[in-house]
Amino acid sequence: MVVSPVLLIAVPLLLAFIAPLCGKAAKYIPPAGALFNLILSVILIPTVLKSPMIVSIGGFPPPFCINLFVGPLGIFFAALISLAGFLISIYALSYIRERAVGKYHTLYLLLLTGATGVVLTGDIFNLFVFYEILCISSYALTAHNAHWHRHGTEAAVKYLIQGSVGSAFILLAIGMLYGFFGTLNMADLAKHIARAHSSVLFIPLTFFIAGFGVEAAIFPLNAWLPDAHSVSPAPISAIFSGIAIEIGVYAIMRVVFTLFGAPLSVMSVLLIVGLLTLLVGEICAFRQNNIKRMSAYSSIGQIGLIVFAFGLATKSGITAGLFQITSHALSKILLFLTIGYMIYSIRMKNYPDKYVTEIEINSLNGLGKKMPLTSLGFAIAAFSLIGFPPFIGFSSKLLIVKAALLKGGIYAVLMGIALIATVIEGAYFLKVVQGIYFRKGEVEGIKENNVFILVPFFILAALIIFAGIYPGILTKILNSSSGELLNRIGYIGRLPG
Amino acid sequence: MTLKILLLTAFGGAFVTYFLGKVSSKLRNYFAVFVSLTLFVAVACLYGKSAENFSYFKFFGNTLVLRVNSLSWFFAAAVSAFGALSVIFSLDYMKGKENLDFYYMMMLLVNAAMLGIVFAADLVSFFVFWEIMSWSTFLLISYSGKNALPAGIKYIVMSLIGSMAMFFGILSIYVNFHTLIISEIARGIVSASSGYKIFILVLFGVTFGIKSAVMPLHTWLPDAYTESPTPFSAVLSGMLTRMGVYGFLLFFYVVAGASFFFDIDAGISKFNYILCWLGAITIVIPTFIAMLQNDAKKLLAWHGIGQGGYMILGIAFGTSLGLAGGILHTLNYSICIVLLFMSVGAVEYRCGGVRDLNSLGGLIKKMPVAFAGALLGISGLIGLPLTNSFVSKWLIYKTLILKSHPFLAFAALIGTWGTILSVYKFLHNNFLGELPEKYENIRKSPVSMQIPIIILSSAILLFGILPGIPLKVINTIITSFGFNSLNVNLWGIASETGTLNTINIFTAILIAGSVIWMLFRVGKKSFPVTQDDNYAAGAYVPAGKYNYTADFYAPLFKIVKPYLMDFADKFFGWLCRVFTGFSEGVRKIYAGDVGYYVLYILFFAALLFFVQSGGKSW
Amino acid sequence: MVIKLIALPLIAFVIGIFFLGLFRKITARIHRRYGPPLTQPVIDIIKLFYQKSVSHGRLFDFGIIVSLAGSLAVILFLPFAGICPLESSGGLLVIAYLLLFAPLGIALSGGEAANPNISIGISRKLILSLGYEVPLILILLAVMTHYKTISIAQIVSMQQKTGWAVFSAPLFLSGISYILILPAMLGVRPFDIASAPQEISSGVKVEYGGKFLALATIEHAFHLFIGISLFVNLFLGGGNVFVFFLKMIFVFIAGVFVHSVFPRFRTEQAVKYLWGWPALIALLGLVLAVTVK
Repeated sequence: MVVSPVLLIAVPLLLAFIAPLCGKAAKYIPPAGALFNLILSVILIPTVLKSPMIVSIGGFPPPFCINLFVGPLGIFFAALISLAGFLISIYALSYIRERAVGKYHTLYLLLLTGATGVVLTGDIFNLFVFYEILCISSYALTAHNAHWHRHGTEAAVKYLIQGSVGSAFILLAIGMLYGFFGTLNMADLAKHIARAHSSVLFIPLTFFIAGFGVEAAIFPLNAWLPDAHSVSPAPISAIFSGIAIEIGVYAIMRVVFTLFGAPLSVMSVLLIVGLLTLLVGEICAFRQNNIKRMSAYSSIGQIGLIVFAFGLATKSGITAGLFQITSHALSKILLFLTIGYMIYSIRMKNYPDKYVTEIEINSLNGLGKKMPLTSLGFAIAAFSLIGFPPFIGFSSKLLIVKAALLKGGIYAVLMGIALIATVIEGAYFLKVVQGIYFRKGEVEGIKENNVFILVPFFILAALIIFAGIYPGILTKILNSSSGELLNRIGYIGRLPG
Repeated sequence: MTLKILLLTAFGGAFVTYFLGKVSSKLRNYFAVFVSLTLFVAVACLYGKSAENFSYFKFFGNTLVLRVNSLSWFFAAAVSAFGALSVIFSLDYMKGKENLDFYYMMMLLVNAAMLGIVFAADLVSFFVFWEIMSWSTFLLISYSGKNALPAGIKYIVMSLIGSMAMFFGILSIYVNFHTLIISEIARGIVSASSGYKIFILVLFGVTFGIKSAVMPLHTWLPDAYTESPTPFSAVLSGMLTRMGVYGFLLFFYVVAGASFFFDIDAGISKFNYILCWLGAITIVIPTFIAMLQNDAKKLLAWHGIGQGGYMILGIAFGTSLGLAGGILHTLNYSICIVLLFMSVGAVEYRCGGVRDLNSLGGLIKKMPVAFAGALLGISGLIGLPLTNSFVSKWLIYKTLILKSHPFLAFAALIGTWGTILSVYKFLHNNFLGELPEKYENIRKSPVSMQIPIIILSSAILLFGILPGIPLKVINTIITSFGFNSLNVNLWGIASETGTLNTINIFTAILIAGSVIWMLFRVGKKSFPVTQDDNYAAGAYVPAGKYNYTADFYAPLFKIVKPYLMDFADKFFGWLCRVFTGFSEGVRKIYAGDVGYYVLYILFFAALLFFVQSGGKSW
Repeated sequence: MVIKLIALPLIAFVIGIFFLGLFRKITARIHRRYGPPLTQPVIDIIKLFYQKSVSHGRLFDFGIIVSLAGSLAVILFLPFAGICPLESSGGLLVIAYLLLFAPLGIALSGGEAANPNISIGISRKLILSLGYEVPLILILLAVMTHYKTISIAQIVSMQQKTGWAVFSAPLFLSGISYILILPAMLGVRPFDIASAPQEISSGVKVEYGGKFLALATIEHAFHLFIGISLFVNLFLGGGNVFVFFLKMIFVFIAGVFVHSVFPRFRTEQAVKYLWGWPALIALLGLVLAVTVK
């Protein structure tokens, strides 16, 4: 073992509390932490692919201690989180300048810590704790601009209320499991559940799905999302859409697959829920005039597609779902960041003394000439989300459709319905692309010249195109990740001690 | 390897053009012309080659493959030729417009994507290039802004519906036959059940039906053709729409295989007859709607739909003659319509963007080359003897009549007579009649416009008099599909039930013409007068009032107009409104009251609880 | 072969001109006038060649030549009493298309002048031709489907074996329809809307004088010949030179009678008429031809 994966959680956590002490230099801390995590997780990938790493914390032998389970799935998510975190924090260097700046950096790092913790832990209660860190920092970040107008607070409170209901469900479920089996270690729990013949086990499962479902934004638990994603500043929207909700999906899948062994009835429900989420999200996005709300609803749609893919419960389906998570993370982050920069530029010109985070689609008209790189980034992100080749969204859609067709029968029919969503998506995204490039707007005097903002665009766009053309680079880790999720016996077998 | 380099040049050239534009616009223009001409030459050099399996890439472990054979060569040659001519035409036409770097890049990109489509030997490459073509087309249609924007959305939405159908179909084939290589699928599909075959063919039929604008899936086309920049309208009508025809050929005759395709019984009728009838409807209705149009480009656009019907009819009918006619008509029609769009473009360019057929007229003396192009173009579209389309239409009619399908033949023939009316209106209202005073000082079209017009005009005559040139290639295509070879020679087709000899027709007309010309010379010499020096039967007509163009076919319209509605468009419009209303309703789910939201969570949990407790899955 | 090529246009010219003369004579007699001599059209043509004329430009000249050349070419493809020098060059379909040259040539020629009468004339001519093409195509298709060939020479020779098409069971409806639209094809009253002398000063020909008018007259003569000869070939079984000529005269005189007693249709009335009974009968005829073998 070269380095301990514990550092993936410990370093950002530590940095989160150092940040407020650093004064003006605080803004450099998140990129540094995220970069550290990125490097570390990439270094760990080869090791983890050989065999998962189990790290015990607290001195007790398992299953009584808290342990980390760093499998391919965990390390894949950790890498994705840190990559997204790194790029977004670079963007935020010059984007987040007003008010609660110090708090922002702390909360941001906490969010990353929480997200990384959720995906790496092997203990269900520990998972809940990290999940709460993630959620609570999200609530706070949503309210980042509460100083300026009340929408932020309102959205944050709504989010908080719904999130708390969800958390309560999770806590109840954990409590029940602990009551049944007297253990919190996930591998141990899985072992017990596999042997148990209790007819009440569906209750904690139901509660888990309903609880994590709130963060995962599945229909109809996602009502907080459009508000929270649209009122918060661009980097926050990006991390929410690109990372936070995917963590919710991860949590559901970890519980459903690893703990409960993916019973068919649950998977069918998830499949249907995924399809509904997809359709409702896209249909709602279709009628939005506000660009950020539109993108937020589009996130709902994409999450629906991810859940749908997982719901197939086959290896190819899960791989496809993971691929879609990657593709959605990259594309949606790029989308939100570019939108954010456009809004920022328009705001700086038109209302320098107001704090605007949302804007009508019409206001973007004609920006293509003034902000060519940003607009290009937006177009690439939108094309990728629609699933045009040669962008990454195409590869993920291809995998999903293939997985559904491999399963055949009714799944193929449902997939056909899901593809309708792509058409709707195309209609509303391309309307915006048209507006940006081909409509005339009042955008005199707007320039793009901020390198810190443009560099993440460039990296993300390059990744989207590169991974779209060479999707093979991801298949190895994704295949072993999906293997991990399906191989419940293997997971139990890794039970330390 | 050559194909790989060719495609790399095509795509690379597009991007290089963009960046050269940042350096110098002249350089960019020359480079764009250079790239497109190079591609044409490179494709032309592939003539007669037939090679499979240039594997060029790995995608998810599947080898992507390119190939060249007579079918792909035929389409590739046409694509690159029209691409080069349109780029040349753009040089003057687009001068002074905005975003030219983008424009040229997209023109070359569309071109490259089409080349990719025809050279693709596996379905993923086919789909990837297809989609690149779709979105770059979307961007080019939207290029002009304003009215072009809804046209672009209409196009891309329909195109996406088609793409998704194809996507589904391709992956379904992949899952069932474990391969993406077209030639391997063709071997594997023989064993498929007939229900599956219908399913696949319907999926691909929708895709290619949308792209080649078969009624009732044509509704994107009139707006898209009208609103695009004219050189791109030419590409769009000339080859891009005909990628649908290529798709039909590829999937019906290469992937599915001819014997297979005809054996399918789709309930009431055979599958290919249904397609034939769709083709027939596509010929008749749009041709008559075209008569009603007053926008020159829209008029041509409706013909774009109508003439597409002949190709579908010929291809779906599927005899050697019909197939040859359908494929040949694809080329012939493309030449004509590109030429016509270029003539319109020249007029538009000189008359300040005016395309309204009611306000133009008399430009023949001012723009003789554009007029000659338009004259040959419409003759070709009608299919007058000695123009190229005559041959292709003759093949289609003949096979329909001899195989006892006179009603299909009637649709095809009446379509031709409808064409005459509308294209004559086009010619007359643009170039004949009185020249409006404001156009007194119009200059000739620029050289960059004249060159493509002259080349295409000569092609119309050349292929009309010596149809054997394209027919030889087409003959190898249809024999590769497993049809009987046609007895083709340079001047037509010989067969037991009536030969076609274009040389005879040509000579007859030439000799008759010379005789009449001599007779004409014998008579007393006429003296030239100006246009306005007219006999008005004693009535006084003030200057400038001679122009008779508006409501050219008023008496006819009184009769036919109520019947000529674009029902499909109305239906789709209605569907869109319904969907919009529906989505407004769905949006209300997120009402904004957090109390409801919490209720949703609880309901969901309860529902889940209910489902799971009832399920008792473990 | 060469003799045929030269002889056939001459025959057509003579018959066509004779018809023009006959036309005026019969009309006059029906009107209780004496009428001009039969040779009057020949005299007119010769005279016109020596008269002055105006030209509006190259297309003005070119159009009339194309028009006449087109008609002349059709004659070479159309059997007259079994004489057909170019029979194996595409058959009836080629004829149907070559027939387009004449009206299009004249239309183009007139188009270069700015006379509104010409434009109106062209518009009317095109509408009228669309009107009669609908039944005509149905008729031609019925004939071609019945005889399973597109070669007009073969159609004639088969009729000589089996009897006149107009009296044969599957084709008699088509024959009736053809008779109903023949006046429209020949452009005689009530279908002379395109060349209405009193309304639009002869329409497309308003600017023609001198040799232009002479050529236009010849074109008219050819046109009469083609229209009638096509009918005789397709439905009346052809025949040797004498019989063929007799049949033509018979058809022609019937047409002149119609012309002399009817007033002129308005354009839309003409189209409505043509798309009414004639089209319906022709459609039934086609159905009959498809079903009855």
